Amino acid sequence: MAKQIIRNAFKPVMTGRAVGLLIATILLSLLTASVSHTFLSSYTVFVLSRQMAFSILLALAQAVCLVVGGMNMSVGAIGSMATVIMGICFQDFGLNPWLTVPLVLLFGLAAGLLNGLIITKLRINSFIVTLSTMFVFMGLRSGISGGSPYTIPDDFGFIGQESLFNVSWVFVLVILILAGAAYVFSSTVFGRQLLATGGNESAARLCGIATDQMILWAHGISGILAGLAAVLWASMIGSAAPETGDTWLIGSFAVAIIGGTGLNGGSISIPGIFLGGAIFILIQNGLIDIKANPYFANSFLGGLILLAIVLDRVREIVSSKRNPGEELNRAPVLEDANRPPGTFAAPVEGTHRAREIPKGN
Amino acid sequence: MGLLSISDISKSFPGVKAVDKVSLAFRPGEIHALMGENGAGKSTLMKIMTGIYQADSGTMFYDGREYAPSSYRESLAAGIDIVHQEIQVVPQASVAENIMLDKLGTFSRQGRINWKQLNRAAGEYMEAVGLKVAPTQSVISLSAGQKQLLQIARALSARAAVILLDEPTSSLSGHEADNLFLLLANLKRSNTTLIYVSHKLDEVYQVSDLISVMRDGKLIGTRFTEELPRSELIRMMIGREAGEQRIGQTRAHPNRVLLQTENLTKKNKCKHASFELREGEILGFYGLVGSGRTELARVLIGESRADSGTIRVNGKKAVIRRISDALFRYRLGYVTENRKEEGLFLDETVLTNLTLLIWRKIRHPWSFYIPKNAEAKTGAEIASALSVKMRNLRTPVSTLSGGNQQKISIGRWLLNDCNILIVDEPTVGVDVGAKEQIHRLIWQLAAEKRKGIILISSDMAEIIRLSTRLLIFRNQEIIGEVKDLEEQSYESVRDRIGDLLSKRNGDQLS
Repeated sequence: MAKQIIRNAFKPVMTGRAVGLLIATILLSLLTASVSHTFLSSYTVFVLSRQMAFSILLALAQAVCLVVGGMNMSVGAIGSMATVIMGICFQDFGLNPWLTVPLVLLFGLAAGLLNGLIITKLRINSFIVTLSTMFVFMGLRSGISGGSPYTIPDDFGFIGQESLFNVSWVFVLVILILAGAAYVFSSTVFGRQLLATGGNESAARLCGIATDQMILWAHGISGILAGLAAVLWASMIGSAAPETGDTWLIGSFAVAIIGGTGLNGGSISIPGIFLGGAIFILIQNGLIDIKANPYFANSFLGGLILLAIVLDRVREIVSSKRNPGEELNRAPVLEDANRPPGTFAAPVEGTHRAREIPKGN
Repeated sequence: MGLLSISDISKSFPGVKAVDKVSLAFRPGEIHALMGENGAGKSTLMKIMTGIYQADSGTMFYDGREYAPSSYRESLAAGIDIVHQEIQVVPQASVAENIMLDKLGTFSRQGRINWKQLNRAAGEYMEAVGLKVAPTQSVISLSAGQKQLLQIARALSARAAVILLDEPTSSLSGHEADNLFLLLANLKRSNTTLIYVSHKLDEVYQVSDLISVMRDGKLIGTRFTEELPRSELIRMMIGREAGEQRIGQTRAHPNRVLLQTENLTKKNKCKHASFELREGEILGFYGLVGSGRTELARVLIGESRADSGTIRVNGKKAVIRRISDALFRYRLGYVTENRKEEGLFLDETVLTNLTLLIWRKIRHPWSFYIPKNAEAKTGAEIASALSVKMRNLRTPVSTLSGGNQQKISIGRWLLNDCNILIVDEPTVGVDVGAKEQIHRLIWQLAAEKRKGIILISSDMAEIIRLSTRLLIFRNQEIIGEVKDLEEQSYESVRDRIGDLLSKRNGDQLS
């Protein structure tokens, strides 16, 4: 009995959702292969694996913020600014990659921490904070760069342009990062405390978790990942182009959400993000194959996110109907019936919870 | 305007009978106070009367007709309105707009609002409630008292003949409250029916004509205010029949003091709190809602730092700057009263909820790996020790019953070897069987595991049954102590508490 309890203690790697995503991925691959003759050619595999790697990396940058109950609207903008800094380091200062790359990652970290600091110290919603910094960074990169790309050393293209058995090095690197993320979130105190913070911030605080620091670091990591994406992007296209990152935001949300990252925080699925990346790239590629009008691309991406959210919600409603226990728990909380509102969690210093309407001006 | 009567009204929520066959009559021109402890069912009853909840059984009559509102809108249409204790206004809009919020349509032609007319109409109601500001002023600049008056003006504008007031003075200053009482007297003269819920004894004696007391969902009785002595009222509110027998002796160690505070003070939370907690002791914190029990507990666990005073743990001065200090350095745990809001990670598994605090302890020193087997084994052990009913450790806690959830929120601190455990309202919302189990668990922790337990509870039977010693709280202060509970009868302890609580202090109770 006890052994069985222990054996059953952890979530299996493939949840129902991941199986669904896997089936969708296989179906989409078969569909694409039947339509396109070049789908399985070595060049397509190389290009698609690289695209997929970017979408996974960016989804991870988004998901780490979603996990703590926030979001990062500035992933692309941080990447863009990072690219400009990289360009300046290479072109204007003539620094070597061994110095430049850490500097760029450091910038990503600093930008993310800046987001995190404003969010946690001033108690401002992460949406509005990162939306603002997004525009700040986008303006800075345009102003500083003037819009023209910087040249970077030739040998810097290795990781973005070469491959290992036809699979892009970017893909290999991102898979390693993804594996690391899986380890952190499933098996380390830090990862599980991130999840706990997103799952119930007040409870996490009462358990001695420094929730503000968790949120701060989630944004810091998000920034580093965006910076890394910028480095890999420059390596891929062979120059540091300031418009890098302009298309990253919606994809980062789409893949993270398709992959099953909870929008309310507290949950992440690494296999889901992997498969979400695959589906995302297959759909994008499929749209090119069937020669869909590229001007409609954004509608497709937006529709895809919406579809993922709607399907998720439907699944939730269906499962709560099948499992009346959940409904039961959502019944009015009687014990609080007579307690003054706002005191129900005796005013905690600095919660996200709405406060009393301010008195006077 | 007529009589509002309810008869045999019952309402259950899963596991609890919130209102149990309550019959009452509210007459025009009367201020009828509704009193009872936390969770007695007053709020549920008020929500039934205003259509926010629907009764499971029973009937209501208003003005000679059957009254069965299926929504708050219907109750409003019938002329019955509620003023919630939380102030519900649109802060950016003007005073007049807030009063007429639901009637903007009647002041508009082709979608254009006639502001002049609206302000004039609102002004009349403002005058009626004594709200002396310009109708065009924005609500954001009003004081809490003025906002409360605004809410009553809104009720009047809806032509409400019955107004339910849910702790209307909880955010008012003394002067503002006096103004409110004047208004209530005026409304009474104009034959409005007023139903008044409050925890403040002085206030209830000042304004009400009748007092009805509820307890455990049942109506205990209705009396004329002037014929009801305070001590009797307190007894009606708290004095339930003696609960179960004590589980057994708890033997507090004579000298081993686990926790000691001296003059612990924190603004709006606790004043000069001095007490000690010994090994093997269950120290009960008793008081009415908002009397400062939970607030003191939260200062102890380091949620906010005390302004002055000292805390000693095991005789040594403790420096508690943050919750993790209390938890990991001093082994001081706090089981919150809001299990769902700030106790549990509802979507997470039973295992995660149990082992959260020991991850750091069991992780591998350099790979940071949390060994799955060790974690599951520890979790399984504590879960079976607490006899948690669940499918397996992977079950999300949201699917468990209230009692099992509570066991998990206690179990978490036990795994962390907390020597001092503060348990806040441990059996609210759990069924009878689980309640007994939780009582036994708390008793065992003190009597057998020799821990020091602080038990915060509004349930008189529970706190008398379990505690070794009681501290009575009022106005963020410890106002008295009841010792040696094990040697006294239930009734004598109950009367002692009643005496301490009903002592006039010139000040408001609660």
